[in-house]
Amino acid sequence: MKRSVVQAMILSDWQRHRTLLLLSIVSGVLALALIQVGGEIPFILGATLFFTVMIVFGCMLPPSNIINERKKQTLPFLMSLPISAMQFTTAKIVSTVGLFLVPWLALVIAAMAFIVGHRGGPQGIIPVVLILAAAPFVGFCVIAGVSLVSESEGAMIAATIATNTSYGFSWYLLVRNPVIRADMQSREIVWSREVLTVLSAEFAVIVLILGLTFFLQSRKRDFL
Amino acid sequence: MTDLAIKFESVGKKYRYFTLEDIHLQVPAGQIMGLIGPNGAGKSTTIRILMGLIHQDHGDVRVLGHRMPVEQVAAKWDIGFASEDMRLYEAMTLDWHMRFIRSIYPQWDAAYAQLLLKRFGLRAEQKIKGLSHGQRVKATLLLVLARRPRLLVLDEPTTGLDPVARHEILRELTAVMNDEGRSILFSSHNTQDVEQISDQITFIDRGRVIDSMDKEAYLDRWRRLRLEAPSGIALPALPGVINIRQTGRLAVATSNAFVPGIASAYENSGARVQTIENMTLEEIFVAKVEHSREEHEEVGA
Amino acid sequence: MDSGILISQSDKRPIYLQIIEQIKRRIAVGDWTEGQPIPSIRQLAVDLQVSVITVKRAYLELEREGVIVTQQGRGSRVAADAGLGKRLHQEELQKHLEHAIRLSALLGIEPEELESRLREASDNIAAKEIK
Repeated sequence: MKRSVVQAMILSDWQRHRTLLLLSIVSGVLALALIQVGGEIPFILGATLFFTVMIVFGCMLPPSNIINERKKQTLPFLMSLPISAMQFTTAKIVSTVGLFLVPWLALVIAAMAFIVGHRGGPQGIIPVVLILAAAPFVGFCVIAGVSLVSESEGAMIAATIATNTSYGFSWYLLVRNPVIRADMQSREIVWSREVLTVLSAEFAVIVLILGLTFFLQSRKRDFL
Repeated sequence: MTDLAIKFESVGKKYRYFTLEDIHLQVPAGQIMGLIGPNGAGKSTTIRILMGLIHQDHGDVRVLGHRMPVEQVAAKWDIGFASEDMRLYEAMTLDWHMRFIRSIYPQWDAAYAQLLLKRFGLRAEQKIKGLSHGQRVKATLLLVLARRPRLLVLDEPTTGLDPVARHEILRELTAVMNDEGRSILFSSHNTQDVEQISDQITFIDRGRVIDSMDKEAYLDRWRRLRLEAPSGIALPALPGVINIRQTGRLAVATSNAFVPGIASAYENSGARVQTIENMTLEEIFVAKVEHSREEHEEVGA
Repeated sequence: MDSGILISQSDKRPIYLQIIEQIKRRIAVGDWTEGQPIPSIRQLAVDLQVSVITVKRAYLELEREGVIVTQQGRGSRVAADAGLGKRLHQEELQKHLEHAIRLSALLGIEPEELESRLREASDNIAAKEIK
């Protein structure tokens, strides 16, 4: 079966990470099962596992899928294929972000389903959960972009630490806002201006980071 | 005028500690070119520029008619590349790699791939991490050979291989010559391999091409003369002789531009020429590098 | 077609000379007969695992000496020359004789002594064959 080189590379990356993928899905399902069980402790355990899976998986992907190509010296093998540097970048971004999206989407959708399913609880929490869940995704794009452009383990680690520590601080800033704090507890979903601004900002950062990555990659002259 | 598989014209690349300068190179289609030179001479850099993996600072590079690095994608469809610092994915099997390559290249020859598995003594279902060094090298070459590419670019293909594995590789490389349209460029420290299968030899040292020519003509220019010089006879310095080593009554002269006149000149000076020997490429290589190092020191002093 | 030629690494002479010698020997002993097609340059190069240019050089030299004939598009064949085999054998004998003479000179042996030693060796070999 003939594929384009980019397709073949993406498929290859997915095949090589199938174990990791499976583990993340299993952990995610476990986390949700715990939350469903009910009671304070299972809920906390489940919620912690939920975020841990996303963050850890997000931390393991860029080293494994991006930095390792240079570290394990498989880069010449890939670059000898009939692709340009830009096609390589495209394949790596798509496969890395794609791999992250699988557990991320699954968890977010399941979380939404859980909240919506619990008619009794405050639906107003949904926008905030969305903002919260998007944060690791934004952070992930930053780490992936930095890894690809810098090809440096050090830079990747720095980016990982920076983004991870920013989550807590961002959450603090978020709930300080009175509008958001109030809407969180309302029975209905409120798409306030504040919430939409934050969500747009997150989306903008993703677009910016990916755009910057492609731009910087296009300027590179040496690939090995 | 035959087609050129590879053409380098005035190619240069500057690094902080190393400069590649004024590289001229031509490989006609259907020929094998061997690249030799000391470590750090610039062979790998030259090969990477050839593959479009490094952009040259100036100069024109054409591979199979394509301008590099601009047209590298088109070129790489017909090039098979393997370098000594290249690795496969350790956690995957050789079979997985074969299917990966096969999914990309339409010219994959499955029958030949199976034949190579047998000839190289490899098992496709084995994971790469379980292979010995020699098996890994052969696996990498299998992936490249089974595509039957028009140009093979190999950086140290037989380095670190045992004699049997080397022989297996050389057999497949020379078999490529059955097809007049296919060419090979390879760099190697194994001067014996280069001497045996190359049609052209290019010698690179300190970022420059020192020699690039027909192998037979190149080997023919060098001789070692063993002389007997009775005491009191001063051996003349002759053009074309780059080195004379004398101990007692015996002397060894190394010539890099041999003509029979050199032997006569020694005879006329009173010395007796015992033997005139051809030199192996390795001996030529060492003589050249030592000679150029001496010259370099003199200039610097 | 298996050429049966083997390049020896320990042989100090250039490969093209080894090829020339072995082809001549094959013709001399009658394995390859006059007019018989021989491997093409490329075929022999692949068979011996040596460069095409080396085989080409050997073939050019052989053609120059009238031992083989190469035709564009038709490949190469042993020259159709009655007595070629014998001529090559004579060449080889001459070479051996010259080599023996050079060695004798090195050892300081006079031609007369060389002659008597030749006779002695000949008698020894004949005696062994009778047994």
